[in-house]
Amino acid sequence: MAESICRALRDGALQGEHAPALTIKDSIASPFGFHVFTHLLTQLSSNILAAKSQSRGLVLVAFSRSPSFYLDLLNRKGIDVASSQKCFVVLMNVWELKHCCRIEILDCYTDPLGWKDALLASENGGSLSNEASTGASLCRNVKDMDKLYSSIIELGKGIVGQGKVRFCVAIDSVNEILRHASISSVAGLLSNLRSNDRVSSIFWLSHSDLHEDRVTAVLEYMSSMVASIEPQNQSANGRRCNWESLPLLEHNYWKGRFHVRFKRRNGRVRVMSEEFHVEQSAINFRSISSEDEIVNRSLLPKVQFNLQLSEKEQIDRAKVVLPFEHQGTGKPIQIYDGRRSLTDGKSEAEPVSTGILQTNENSSKGEIIYLRDSDDERPDSDEDPDDDLDI
Amino acid sequence: MATSKPWTSSFSRNLATVPSSAPGLKYGPNGTIFISSGIPDLDKILGGGFPLGSLVMVMEDAEAPHHMLLLRNFMSQGLVHKQPLLYASPSKDPKGFLGTLPTPGASKDDKSRDRDPENEHGLRIAWQYKKYFGENQHHFDSNRDVKHEYCHDFDLRKPLEKHFISGQHIDCVSILDSPNLAALRDRCAPFLAQFPRNDSSISSAGRISIQSFCAPQCKYSNMEWDMLSFIRSLRSMIRSSNAVAVVTFPPSLLSPSFSRRWQHMADTLLSVRAIPDEDKEMAKLLTGYQDMVGLLNVHKVARINTQVPVILDATTFSIKLQKRRFLVLESLNQAPIDSSSGTSYGTSASCSGSSKSGALDF
Repeated sequence: MAESICRALRDGALQGEHAPALTIKDSIASPFGFHVFTHLLTQLSSNILAAKSQSRGLVLVAFSRSPSFYLDLLNRKGIDVASSQKCFVVLMNVWELKHCCRIEILDCYTDPLGWKDALLASENGGSLSNEASTGASLCRNVKDMDKLYSSIIELGKGIVGQGKVRFCVAIDSVNEILRHASISSVAGLLSNLRSNDRVSSIFWLSHSDLHEDRVTAVLEYMSSMVASIEPQNQSANGRRCNWESLPLLEHNYWKGRFHVRFKRRNGRVRVMSEEFHVEQSAINFRSISSEDEIVNRSLLPKVQFNLQLSEKEQIDRAKVVLPFEHQGTGKPIQIYDGRRSLTDGKSEAEPVSTGILQTNENSSKGEIIYLRDSDDERPDSDEDPDDDLDI
Repeated sequence: MATSKPWTSSFSRNLATVPSSAPGLKYGPNGTIFISSGIPDLDKILGGGFPLGSLVMVMEDAEAPHHMLLLRNFMSQGLVHKQPLLYASPSKDPKGFLGTLPTPGASKDDKSRDRDPENEHGLRIAWQYKKYFGENQHHFDSNRDVKHEYCHDFDLRKPLEKHFISGQHIDCVSILDSPNLAALRDRCAPFLAQFPRNDSSISSAGRISIQSFCAPQCKYSNMEWDMLSFIRSLRSMIRSSNAVAVVTFPPSLLSPSFSRRWQHMADTLLSVRAIPDEDKEMAKLLTGYQDMVGLLNVHKVARINTQVPVILDATTFSIKLQKRRFLVLESLNQAPIDSSSGTSYGTSASCSGSSKSGALDF
């Protein structure tokens, strides 16, 4: 549910906890991960702008799109973006400071490995090119995770200043980082960001079919929410239905399912699903209309009946009066002398749990001599077997 | 619930010395000595506790932190019994975790679930000849001395008192930055050398806990063969010492063949799993779903000196937090079947209680 994700990102982290982290995962079958990413980015930015969120700024690490793309995007959505440099130099007005969304973009798109720089330096004999004019900071070496981490934190602190105020981090595409660094260093980066107490929440996008399953598993391990984007009907994945009309296929392409798994604090997993529809680069979410629910049945192999008693049941059981229990408590013990009734040796098939053994009668009554008439008469049918019980 | 009877056979290991009464140790059959896991239910399920010299592995679920509950109880129990502890974790400051260890809970008097099924006091037999015998019940007066109890019930809400932590032999290691496992091995070897296993009496037992061993942020985490050989060497070191090691790892982060190899390395293998939240089907199927936080599976129980396997009645248990404080493991109980569905209790293993025809695999 996109709303719940936005709320979780907006609310951020509690004191002493890791920051909530979201992985947005898509695949070639339904490649709308970037739409979801930008949707969440704009939502979070508007929340920051309206001061509804825990964080006061956002650091966007841009790998797959240029910073100007993001600035245009946010401006189009009506979010006034101002980088910290402009704020300090141009806007000295406190009102304007409050009403611009503090976003810093770490530009890892323009020159991630420092090649352009090296090229220009060799051509011009040492003069460096301009810094990107949009005010975004340039990162020239994405292979160094420590440097990347410290630049993100510095940028963030630059937005919100010193003190306890937090900021969010959005990473454009983790796949790009993984081209340059190993998964363990990226995992280290993400866990360092999460455990930094200035970071309010963090989210990133990953295309799951660009990597091995292990990488996707690691990213899911590191995150507290996993949002996956799947096509409308899974069955259409494998086979290409040629007989299906092309417009219908195309129509279905723009729709899909949005599944989210939240790892809650109590250790349970909340699973939610929605449908989404992409139209003209805007994405709309709505809840699922049909009734099918995905239930994880494989968790319960052997379920037993409850044979244990609750407190009330135990007390009630203790109150049950059982036969023979009152004897031996001080009254004269009556010893059966073997001459009494004829219900000897007849032990009924009572359930073991009641613990009653049917034995001879031991209260002396008149003697009855009974001779059976025939064998097919049910034995002892005249007698109430419960007469023997001495309650 | 599986109540364990000690297996008595005519062959039993000769114990050269009289067992000393060190706190926290329990003597079992065949010369096995147990230490408590810190969770009374788990000790009962495993037949006494973790045997000294065994390697316990816990498979984590990436979606839930229940392995931390097991580790916390294990470590606290060791500290309460003054058993030295070595703790390794992938965080930068492992000492911080010691602050979250639970303290032993209230005394046994107020526990309402203290029903000892092995005690004959609990069974009422209405028997005609009872009056001739009088009270000849055996009084199993188990040692209820709180300080030297074998297994404490830990209150997860209150942290462990400082005096248990300070002045103890606690060694904390961070495995985050080490490029290979030589450093960890170098810490484990001298630690375990303090508890050699020989025929003399045991002074104390040691505990090692390693959390999230193949966590992805550790630098060695893609060296799968190295990690496997570390586990193997740890296991061999543990075998010849009076210690228990608990290692937790997330199997989803390993390749399937390595995950299997690691599982084979374990003497006792447990796994914890998350359960879905607000799942109506599961709530209908199980009683006590509201209190459950997760599931615990027992895959393997250590049997070191014997050929007799442990066959448990049930291998899946629900993890509950009683009064939000005490960790309780219960076997899964089926909720009463709705009478309107028309099926009776007598139907066999297939659960036909729910009206939806979800196929349940047993």
